[in-house]
Order: sequence, then structure tokens, then C-alpha cells
Amino acid sequence: MDFTLPETALAVQRGIADVCSRYDMGYWERCEAEKRWPDEVWADLAKGGWLGLGVPEEYGGGGQGLLEMAVATETLAASGSAGGSAFTYVLTPGFGALTLSRHGTPEQKGTLLPRLATGELETCFALTEPDAGSNSLAISTFARQDGAEYVVNGQKIWITGVQRATWMMLVTRTIPAEEAKPRTNGMTVFLVNVPEAVEKGQLSYRPIPKMGANTTPSNMVFFDDLRVPAANVVGEVHGGAVVLWDILNPERILLGASALGGAEVALRVGVEYARQREVFGRPIGANQAIAFPLAQVQAKIELARLMLYKAAWLFDQGLPCGTESNIAKLTASQAAWEAADAAFQTHGGMAYSLEYPVARLLTDARIGKIAPVTEELLLNYVATQVLGLPRSF
Amino acid sequence: MNIVVCVKQVPDTATERKLRSDDKTLDRDAVDGVINELDEYAVEEALRLKEAHGGEVTVLTMGPAKAADTIRKALAMGADKAVHLVDDALAGSDALSTSYALAQALGRVGFDVVVLGSESTDARTGVLAAMLAERLGVPQLSQARKVEVNGSAVTIERVTDYGYDRVEASLPAVVSVVEKINEPRYPSFKGIMAAKKKPVETLGAADLEADAGQLGLAGAWSEVVDFAVAPPRAAGTVVKDEGDGGAKAAEFLASKKFI
Ligand SMILES: Cc1cc2nc3c(=O)[nH]c(=O)nc-3n(C[C@H](O)[C@H](O)[C@H](O)COP(=O)(O)OP(=O)(O)OC[C@H]3O[C@@H](n4cnc5c(N)ncnc54)[C@H](O)[C@@H]3O)c2cc1C
Repeated sequence: MDFTLPETALAVQRGIADVCSRYDMGYWERCEAEKRWPDEVWADLAKGGWLGLGVPEEYGGGGQGLLEMAVATETLAASGSAGGSAFTYVLTPGFGALTLSRHGTPEQKGTLLPRLATGELETCFALTEPDAGSNSLAISTFARQDGAEYVVNGQKIWITGVQRATWMMLVTRTIPAEEAKPRTNGMTVFLVNVPEAVEKGQLSYRPIPKMGANTTPSNMVFFDDLRVPAANVVGEVHGGAVVLWDILNPERILLGASALGGAEVALRVGVEYARQREVFGRPIGANQAIAFPLAQVQAKIELARLMLYKAAWLFDQGLPCGTESNIAKLTASQAAWEAADAAFQTHGGMAYSLEYPVARLLTDARIGKIAPVTEELLLNYVATQVLGLPRSF
Repeated sequence: MNIVVCVKQVPDTATERKLRSDDKTLDRDAVDGVINELDEYAVEEALRLKEAHGGEVTVLTMGPAKAADTIRKALAMGADKAVHLVDDALAGSDALSTSYALAQALGRVGFDVVVLGSESTDARTGVLAAMLAERLGVPQLSQARKVEVNGSAVTIERVTDYGYDRVEASLPAVVSVVEKINEPRYPSFKGIMAAKKKPVETLGAADLEADAGQLGLAGAWSEVVDFAVAPPRAAGTVVKDEGDGGAKAAEFLASKKFI
């Protein structure tokens, strides 16, 4: 067994760290406070070809797999952007480029991939609905065929990055959930041109005021007789579930990687403070009550990283990776939360001051336990699919 | 055009630097090495010259084995090949012996223009470009914030206290640059991968056809006799103004021989 990262992944680590070295914690804090997209980092990532890492070379990309993309996301998050801001890397390189590379029609690939690889086009992903979050098969946004077009009506919630996206990967029902057999049948994924649909009044959205991760707004989205050409179906009509799994597994791995990077930066900040802050005439890190939680986090980070890289590797080999990506996501987001919490406790009162980075790291780390899938649902998966326990739902 | 860019691996300025107790030189093993910041601008400028005029960019570095990382970075930015001067006999070089070794190497590699950063963040002598030009017998154009090559002439804008001077010379020449000159590019993914396959020639002291007495510590004209950690700042003297504050302050300054 060989645990060394391939040269390509090491190149990604080095290259992304190089880009990020010009942006300090303060930069990310300002982006968060100003609720603005990290334009400068985005431009630099685009220039170096880092956004197109997962796009096949024939379409102008780096021709790399999910492992390299996970390493990119982790490195970006660990540099200070932390969990929330690493959406930067997931929305377009992940949801858009990776999905279309696998499931796009030759036409979709030819027109979109080269421009997704350069960051000129951006994407978002719309699955969650007010009445279908954890139970995503219960979505009711419906696409009715009308000649060479589909007409979509319904509503989505929490859709992140709609503002910048040219294309939305929209998950719909073409057979209502109640009638679908099995329940995974009858789902269809569409590419929706967001600015065009907005202009025609067929799509509207409203940002949700949120607690953190404000570099990228999340929105309510409404579809009102939205017309989508049949050529914009990704994968098969009614067979969208296949595409969906190939979105959701990489999403777990990439957001797991972002949580992992978030854990790394929180630990770094915590350890630094534990070393410097003196109370009772000695550095607080000399107290085991402070040191051990930090050491514990280090162990969890190492474990989560192993699992994450394994899951990504399985995906790249075309092997089943459901169990591994779920466990990777679970352990990485727990590591992120525990790291942020330990760093927070280590900072004492200063943790509560917005002049220190810990509060942001804690807020960011909290999302990982909810999105894109809750901790309970991950445990449900392990309990039922791995341990064979009876289903609760 | 045959462009050579000199780069140096320096200790990361963010880390604590230590001198070795035995030969009193910088302990390069104890710290992370990074490319000297100004050298990134030099590499960028070399690449731009190549993009404008064609030719080839060769990276030249003198340093221990681990300086190979710095070479890879310059190659990843887009340079074509590299020459790594590495030999225990070169350890402990001062500016004078460094310039001698580099000049010998440049004689071997050949060049139309040599580009380098105007100083390095470790020793900060800022004299290497001048020494190199002198040893090579070519013009030196220093502190460039802009470089243009026209046929066999090179023109720069040299940064001064009052603005800039326009300086022109014939090629071959040595040009040192300041950070105002450009915005260095990041290595791209493809650049980093391609760099692994680019040729790096390793030269030892013996390859330089040099006078061994002028190399390394043996050839250094400066010697570190002793060093000490900078003492922590002592408590200041507070002058309380009781009508005679001015006189007291002057007295203090005089006692320290400032006035
Ligand atoms: C910042 C942010 C960004 C997001 N971005 C996107 C996006 O871009 N696109 C998108 O489609 N979605 C997005 N989401 C939505 C996200 O995927 C959902 O919020 C998540 O899947 C949870 O669904 P829910 O909010 O409906 O919670 P619910 O499903 O209502 O769950 C509520 C609670 O009940 C628990 N629960 C439910 N069922 C069970 C059970 N059987 N056993 C045990 N516990 C159970 C859950 O674990 C949870 O704790 C985002 C969410 C956030 C917070």
C-alpha cells in the first residue's frame, strides 16, 4: 500500500498554496464582513488553470480527478478562507465542470466546459426545496414536456451562488415522487440559463440573510413557467438520479475537504494562541486542559484526511464510494467543528471578539454539520447501509 | 535572445533565522527556503522579454541541494531550463565570492542579458549585480522598474529618489529589477507539471574552471567575527517637563552623543 500523494496532487497543493500566500486571514475576514465574492482569488485561480483542474484536457482543462480537486479545496480552505468561503471552489469546478465532464452531451461539453475551465462561466446547483431537504427524493419542482421544451414550476431554497451563475444545474421531477417506482426514478436534471430566465421573468430569487459564509449568498428561487429546451437535459430524462449521485458524492468529498481545511486553519490559530498567551506566568498551552483538545483535533484531522483521500481515489477509479464519501464528510465536518470549538475555548474572552478570526471559523465550521447533508443523515446511511440496521424512514 | 535569470533561495522571512555557531553563517538547514521575493519579479521580467523577443530563459542558482525547490518554482513559472551550482566548496560565500562563481558559470552558459533582483532578503548587500557586471565586463543597469530591448540595445527606467533615470546600454548586459517592475505570475497547474520534465544541469566547483581560492568561505573577503542576539529593548528614559523639559531632553541626547 502506498500512501504518498501522486505528483499531480502535490503540484496542486503547491500551486494553490502559492496563490493563497498572497491573501492573508485579514483578506478573507474582509470578504466575509463586506459580504463579497473573493474576486481577486477567483481571478488568480482562473489564470493558473486551477478552476479547470477537473475538466478533461481536450476541453482546455487540467484533466485531473476528484483527488486533485479535493486537495485544491482543502488547501484553499486551510489558507484562511475556511469552510464557508471554499464554496468558491465547489460551485463551478465541482457542480458544473465535474458533472458535465461525466454526464454532459457532446454539445454541452463543447460549448460549456472550455469556459467553465477558465472561470468565465459559473454554475450553481439547485436541489433543496422548502419541503425536501434531507428527503431530497421528495422534491416537487416539476418539469412538464411541451414539444421540444420543458416547462418548469416550483420553488427551491438555500441555492448558493445564483447571483454569479450563468448556468444552474436544476434537479426536477418529471414523474411525481408519489408515482415514481422506484422513488429514484422520474428525476431529471436540467441546465438552466439563469440570466436569460431572469430576464424573461421565468426565474426569480431572493437571498436569505445568513449567519456566515457570506462571501456567497444563498437564495430562495422561484420558477414560474420556466421554459427549458430539451437539449438542456443533463443525462437521461427520468434518469437524473444517476447524475445526482455523481453530483452528491463529489459534493460530499469537496465540502468534506473544505471542512478539513477549515479544521486545519482553526487548529493553527488555536495552537498559535496557546503558545503565546501567558496566564499564571506560563503559556496556556502548557496546561493539558488546553493542549489535549488541540492534540485530539490533530488526530481527527489526520483520520479525516485519510478517509477523504480514499473516497476521492475510489471515485476517480470509478469504484463505489458512497460509504467512504459519507464517512469522510462526517469525520471532516466533525473535525472542523471540534477544531473551531477548541480554538474558541483556547482564546478565552478574545474568541468572542470579532477582531480575532475564531468567531468566523466557528460560524463557518457549524454549516458542515448541516450542509450539504446533515450529520444525522450520514449516520443514518452508515446505520442502515453499512450496519444493516432497520430503516427509520 | 539568450536570457539568464539569477535566483536565490532565502530563508522564509516569516520564520526566525539563526546563525550557525561554528562558521557563523546562516543556518539554511534550520529554516524553510523560499525564492527570494525580488527574484520572482526578475523571473517574470525574463519571461516577458522572452515573450516579446523570443529565445530562451535559463535559471541560474547557486545554493545547497534544497535550492532545487526554488529552481522548480522558476521553471514552473515558465523558464525553459536551469543550471544549479551546488558544491560544499561554495558554502559560506560572501557577495564577492558568489559573484565570482556566478560569473564563471555565466561564462560557460552564455547570455545576452542577465536579469536579477536588486537585492535578497537575507543578506541585503544589494551589490551582486554590480559585481557580476564588473566581472563579466558588461554594462550594469540597476534598479529597473521598466526594461525594453531594442535590437542590440537595452533601455531601463532606473528608480531614483527624484523619480527615474533613463539608462541605455548595449547588450550583453546585466539588469537588476525592483518590485515596481511587474506583477509576477503564479505557476499554473500545467506549468508545475511541465517543470518536472525540464532540464536542470548541476555544476560543481570543478566545472567552473575557477581559482579555488576565490570560492566559498575561502574566497570571502568579509568574515563574521562574532554575533549576538539583539538585546531586548531597554526601558526608555522619561523626561518630566518641570519647565526645563527642553534642556533635560537636550542633555539626554548629548549624553548619548546624538547631539
Ligand atoms: C449555507 C447553506 C448553503 C446551502 N447551499 C445549497 C445549495 O447550493 N443547493 C442546494 O440544493 N441546497 C443547499 N443547501 C441546503 C442543504 O443541503 C440542506 O439544508 C440540508 O440538506 C438539510 O436539509 P433541511 O435544511 O431541509 O433540513 P431537514 O431535512 O428539515 O432536517 C432538519 C433536522 O432533522 C433531522 N432529520 C431529518 N430526518 C431525519 C431522520 N430520518 N433521522 C434523523 N434525523 C433526521 C436532520 O438531520 C436535521 O437535523 C444549503 C444549506 C445551507 C445551510
